[in-house]
Order: sequence, then structure tokens, then C-alpha cells
Amino acid sequence: MNIVSAFAGLFLGALLGLGSALAAAGIIGPGARLGGAVDVSGWTSDWTIGSEVANPWTRARVARHGLLALTKDEAVYFTRNTDDAGERLAEGCDYRVKGGAMPAQWWSITLYNSESYLPDNTDNALSYDLTDAASAGDPASWFFDLSASPSEAGSGWVSSRAGGNFDLTLRLYKPDTDFIADPERVLQAPSIEKLGCGEAN
Amino acid sequence: MRLPVIGLSAFAIGLVAAHFIVLNALPDYIMSKARERMTGSGISMHAWQMSPRVTPETQTIVRPSPDLAYAVCVIDVAGGPVTLSVPTWPEYSSLSIFDASTDNVYAGSLDARLPDAPGARTVIVAMEGQAVEAAEGVDVVSVKKPEALALIRRLAPSQGLYDAAAALVPVSTCGPA
Repeated sequence: MNIVSAFAGLFLGALLGLGSALAAAGIIGPGARLGGAVDVSGWTSDWTIGSEVANPWTRARVARHGLLALTKDEAVYFTRNTDDAGERLAEGCDYRVKGGAMPAQWWSITLYNSESYLPDNTDNALSYDLTDAASAGDPASWFFDLSASPSEAGSGWVSSRAGGNFDLTLRLYKPDTDFIADPERVLQAPSIEKLGCGEAN
Repeated sequence: MRLPVIGLSAFAIGLVAAHFIVLNALPDYIMSKARERMTGSGISMHAWQMSPRVTPETQTIVRPSPDLAYAVCVIDVAGGPVTLSVPTWPEYSSLSIFDASTDNVYAGSLDARLPDAPGARTVIVAMEGQAVEAAEGVDVVSVKKPEALALIRRLAPSQGLYDAAAALVPVSTCGPA
């Protein structure tokens, strides 16, 4: 009877352990964020990404959602899935993303669906970057619209069509050393203002 | 009273053991699957392969950047060290190496605008313990397992820049030292 109880407990525990590991890695659900976290106005990152010192939860999650990510000396990655009001970013709503100068040699903001892939649309408008900001006039003060249909001519646009509940990844390549040392103080995190939801917008 | 204690203890042991065994195995598993997908799609071992321009239709890994042109080389150093030589680029660009556990074990700039930028960056990848003779200016990267991946990222947000990046693949090398 004791053996049966031990085997049953072991089996059930192993089953739950398997499930919790897959959940922590983001293979089931969004994944866990444990340790090393950086949060600047809702944009979250982890300075241990890509390195040997990352904890096993971060390593597994990055392998699933950010395979071939670089270490922080070369690039850092911030992700955000909510607007300034804390509501989930969704294809059915329109947003305006605003920002300033970024503490890096080059940067980009890219939209991904909940599976961490580019959404399946042909709009050829899935990211906004330093090159776009410079072309628009001032890389120290820029904005773009985030919506399922094109914004007015002349302004930057990132398409959320077929994005469902999506998120944005901010990549900062060759980040400044003072930013790495104190990200909360140095980074002017881009704002995400919701303009409205539904077909009327 | 003894029965629940045994069952609960076994449950806790099973939970913790399975959680960490699976968690620690996942990066290696995911990387080996990525390598399999690459070689299965026709990418040869020890040869630079330009990835198609990133679009929703062409993406093969999670979170690709549509602003970048990627080239990949699948590496196996079981038979000896592998040497990579890659030309620089007039914009942001990097050469990075990932080990079998997905760790980014090397990243070197390929940005030609930097003051000390070489015309090409040369890196030797070797297993820990393998003898390596490296000339001055050549970086040496040690890996614990023979499987590795090298990746070139070049800022190329237009078709013209992508084509220019692709033109550098034939003059880049990745092969036994």
C-alpha cells in the first residue's frame, strides 16, 4: 500500500512538474518572469538574457520566445503588451506610440502576436525604427500609429492587422553603458496611448 | 497517518525533479530542433546561408526583426575548430555565436563606422580543450558541446540593402580551421 501511495504521488508530482516547467518556459501560456527583471514604465526586460548566468526559468523562456537573443553588451530587448492605462494591446484598438532619443546606436520597435511571431498580414509595416524616426524629421521626438488599417498619410504606421492580442518588442542595439547601469533613470520609455477601439475609429 | 506522508513526499520529489529536469533540458532541445529545421530546409553544415528577407511568410524562428538581414552558419566542432571570417558593414551589424544550450557565447561588431573596425572579423570556434592557433586580431570562442550556430545580423530595412548584405555571403567563410 505504501508503494502504491509513493508511486501515485511520484507520478502526479512529475506530471505537475512537467506542466509547470512547460508553463514557466512559455510553451503553455505566456511564461514566467523570475529574477533579473528590468521594468521601465511597463516595458520589461531581463539583463541576463542570452548569458550563462540567466536562471533556468529565464533560459527556458528565452529559448522558446527569443531564441538567438544577444547579451546586453550587444543588444537589449524590452517587451510590452499593455497600453498606458494598463489594458492589453489588441488588434481591435488604435494606439499612438511616442518616444524620444534612445540610449543606443540603433533601435527598433516590432509587433508580434501572442505566439511571438510576426502577424500574418501583407502590410509591410511591422516595425518602426531609428531610420524611420530620422526620416520623419527628429529622432529625439517621434511617434507612430499602431492600428489594423493605415493611418493618415505622412505619419508612421505599424500594422496590427491579424495581430490579435499582440505585444511590442523594443530592441536597443549597442546600448549606452550608463543606460545598462541604470535603465530606469536613462531610458525615456515610449508611451502607448489608446486612441479608441472598434470600427468607428 | 503514514500513508499520506509517503504519498505527499513522493509527490513533492516528483514535482521538483520533473520541473527542473524539463526546465534545464528545454534550451538544448529547442536549439537542437532549430538546427534540425535549418539543416532539414537545405542549409549545409559549415556554410553561410542567407535567410530570406524577413516577412510573416518567411519567418522560421520566433521574434525575427524585419529590419535586419540574417545569415546563419550551422557549426559542429567535433572534428576540430571552425573558423569564421565575415566582412564589415556600413551600418549596425554583428556576428554572434550561440552554443548548444542557446547561450550567446560571442558577439562581435561588424560596424565599419567604428574607429577600430577591421575590414573583416575572424573568429575561431573550438571545443574546450581543443588546441587552437590564432593569429593576432582573431577571436577564439570555446564551447562545451560541439554543436553551435553563428549568426550575422545586418541592418538592412530595404530590398536594396538586403541585396547588398546577400552579396557579402559568398565572400564570408565558415569552415574547419
